Amino acid sequence: MVDAAMTGVTSAGMDSARLKRMRRFRTGDATFRGLTFGAALTVLLLLGGVILSLVHGSLPALSEFGFGFLTSQSWNPVTEKFGALSPIYGTIVTSFIALLIAVPVGIGIAIFLTELCPPWLKRPIGVAVELLAGIPSIIYGIWGLFVFAPFFQTNVQPFLISLFAPIPVLNNLFAGPPYGIGILTAGFILAIMVLPFITSITRDVFDTVPPVLKEATYGLGCTTSEVVTKVVLPYTRVGVIGGVMLGLGRALGETMAVTFVIGNAHKISASIMAPGTTISASIANEFTEAVGDLYTSSLIALGLILFIITFIVLAGARLLLLRMNVKAGN
Amino acid sequence: MNQLAMNTTGLAEKVSIRNLKFFYGDTQALKTINLPLFEKKVTAFIGPSGCGKSTLLRVLNRMYDLYPRQRAEGEVLFDGKNVLDPDQDRNMLRARIGMVFQKPTPFPMSIYDNIAFGIRLYESLSRSEMDGRVEAALTRAALWNEVKDKLNSSGLSLSGGQQQRLCIARTIAVRPEVVLFDEPCSALDPISTAKIEELIDELTTDYTIAIVTHNMQQAARVSDYTAFMYLGELIEFDETAKIFTSPSDKRTQDYITGRFG
Amino acid sequence: MANTLGTSASAGFSAASTPEAQALYRRRRRGNGILLSLSVVATLFGLLWLVLILAALLYKGVSGLSVAVFTEMTPPPGSAGGLLNAIWGSLLMTVGGVLIGTPIGILAGTYMSEYGRGRKLTTVVRFINDILLAAPSIVIGLFVYEVMVVQMGHFSAWAGCVALAILVIPVVVRTTEDMLNLVPNQLREAAAALGLPRSIMIRHVAYKAAMSGIVTGVLLAIARVSGETAPLLFTALNNQFWSSDMNSPMSSLPVTIFQFALSPYQDWQSLAWTGALLITFTVLALNIVARAFLSPKAQK
Repeated sequence: MVDAAMTGVTSAGMDSARLKRMRRFRTGDATFRGLTFGAALTVLLLLGGVILSLVHGSLPALSEFGFGFLTSQSWNPVTEKFGALSPIYGTIVTSFIALLIAVPVGIGIAIFLTELCPPWLKRPIGVAVELLAGIPSIIYGIWGLFVFAPFFQTNVQPFLISLFAPIPVLNNLFAGPPYGIGILTAGFILAIMVLPFITSITRDVFDTVPPVLKEATYGLGCTTSEVVTKVVLPYTRVGVIGGVMLGLGRALGETMAVTFVIGNAHKISASIMAPGTTISASIANEFTEAVGDLYTSSLIALGLILFIITFIVLAGARLLLLRMNVKAGN
Repeated sequence: MNQLAMNTTGLAEKVSIRNLKFFYGDTQALKTINLPLFEKKVTAFIGPSGCGKSTLLRVLNRMYDLYPRQRAEGEVLFDGKNVLDPDQDRNMLRARIGMVFQKPTPFPMSIYDNIAFGIRLYESLSRSEMDGRVEAALTRAALWNEVKDKLNSSGLSLSGGQQQRLCIARTIAVRPEVVLFDEPCSALDPISTAKIEELIDELTTDYTIAIVTHNMQQAARVSDYTAFMYLGELIEFDETAKIFTSPSDKRTQDYITGRFG
Repeated sequence: MANTLGTSASAGFSAASTPEAQALYRRRRRGNGILLSLSVVATLFGLLWLVLILAALLYKGVSGLSVAVFTEMTPPPGSAGGLLNAIWGSLLMTVGGVLIGTPIGILAGTYMSEYGRGRKLTTVVRFINDILLAAPSIVIGLFVYEVMVVQMGHFSAWAGCVALAILVIPVVVRTTEDMLNLVPNQLREAAAALGLPRSIMIRHVAYKAAMSGIVTGVLLAIARVSGETAPLLFTALNNQFWSSDMNSPMSSLPVTIFQFALSPYQDWQSLAWTGALLITFTVLALNIVARAFLSPKAQK
């Protein structure tokens, strides 16, 4: 009786088999919903877990060195004095170089793909860009070390050194000797790696420009380049910046490609041709060999710093892209 | 409302809608609706777009529950029990009050499985019993002869009209008591439409039917009773012949003669 | 031609045909030409690297390709050998990571699209997930080191699996949510109208409709993790020998490449190139297959 009242069905069509089945459906529904909810929470817990474990792991180093950890350049496993300045410097400079190269090229490719490319070529180029993004970073590393760096050393670096030698400031930035590996090389490899990310996001946001808007501009007699610079780019500015920041997030955290070609020197040099190090390269190179808790903890603290920087950059990128989507009406 | 003037002797109320109000968030979409659906009769709902006729249909099987911020007040008695009660099991309710939609919605599976899927939920049948049920449902929906040789091909491979008949077969295969049609022919060509209308006519021997339609000829052709709705209100409900020949409300008259809508 | 234009200019019908306007127009055309040429150059420049990298891999990697690569263990320096244990380890850990990460990812994506659509929690999860998607994989390695390696007291293949799973999850969450969002609501209503319980509707109707997209997501996730090195460096570590013991360190192709490429030994470097060739073409093939899986409708 209770069952019938509860289910709200009293007709003759309700036999006990149906009732039983219905109860099973209810528990099945609740269980499945619970599972999906738990999985969604897991995603949140993962992020929380990453932050907590990094903070926990870096406590010894941070309490030992305090704020000085961020400003000290020394990295001496023997005396156990550690400072994060040179990896932070290397991380930021390599990423900056990468963006300097990848942003104009990425936007150029996106312009080509959306405005110029014949339809039959769109897909192959799109796929090629995706493939470039799919190549594992270690491949960039091995290729960078054995193919790109030697070429760079013999053909490009001497040229850059002599080119900038007479110009003050720049001659310090491009001072020899040409090692092949170093900050500039790492930045260049990173540029190739983040290029596909910037390209595909820029292309996607370019596609959100309403065709009527472009048609109206063409209708005034504007050329393609005017449509791009006066309508498409202003309209999508927020999204493009979001895409660039997403690329920056990738560049900051990239490990293997950089580790191969940066030279792994814990020092800050005036010249961007000199070897240096980044946060991720330091961790990759030294973590398994680190002896002593303070050394390990300092490396984890580096990881924490990297995570905080990339978190801020990626969160900013997402917020900008979100704004872009709201504008596009999705 | 001249409900009382209507001769209702010998008619059982399968569904009774009492003081029904419906809200989308803060917007009231239905204003105090009172209406019966008589057993084994076809009731048509007509009215201009946005008058609430589809909304009313979606209250009957609580389809609105799928979306947040939609709620109904009042009573919908189905065999005397209020389906709007919070403890009403919705799956069971929907198995007993089936629905056919505006656009055909075959599931991404074979024709056979489209039918068998719903049956399996509530009944454990042997393979041969299931075959029989599938054939019966498809025959009933006047589709068997067209698909009997390709039961294993995808439901999506059928034409629009066939897909809609597949959806009707799928709905009646679970043996509901009431079938709701929400503009079932609006996406179909005239020949398919005629077939579906014929089908609805045949289904009245076993089912109580409610149909929302934009097409007044269709309402006149298939229904026994017609409800005219306007701006969320039920303006007039009567025998179809009466509505279309001598409506008692001026607005009904204007609508069926094409003066607005 | 110039003559006709001149006549119409003198007639004064159109401001666009005055000589000044034509000069201006020529300048605009030139600007247009320059920008468009630059975009072509940028495209060629971008594609050049793909070609160069693939060519180098083929040139340096193919020569080392032999049966021994697939039948022998990684050698000590100075002797011949293969990559069998590294390939096996990569296979085991990738499969493990995908098996752990995929169900969690699909379920979380299901919550976001089917139960929590429009809810705050969904927005937050999507935001966090997008950050995890691009988070530095080496940090994930550190995390797993802290919570598994330190707790267990030793490096293990399980830790490697978990690190890879954490990289799989965001990819699968993202595609599952996107693909389920593409499933029309009509289909959900139609299923509900038959009396289908929600969970059965999701598993038998919505998943079926979104299948090709979800498979694509999983394949892309496999492609992503099968080349990952950083998260394995201090979770699974490395192992010179054949091992199927998930509780002990395990070799993997990427970590072996890392170790061998940076070594001074010629044999090791050559094996590293061969390994790089294998990984790259596996990953690229997975990428292509994944995209082929995606129905044209969902690609838009």
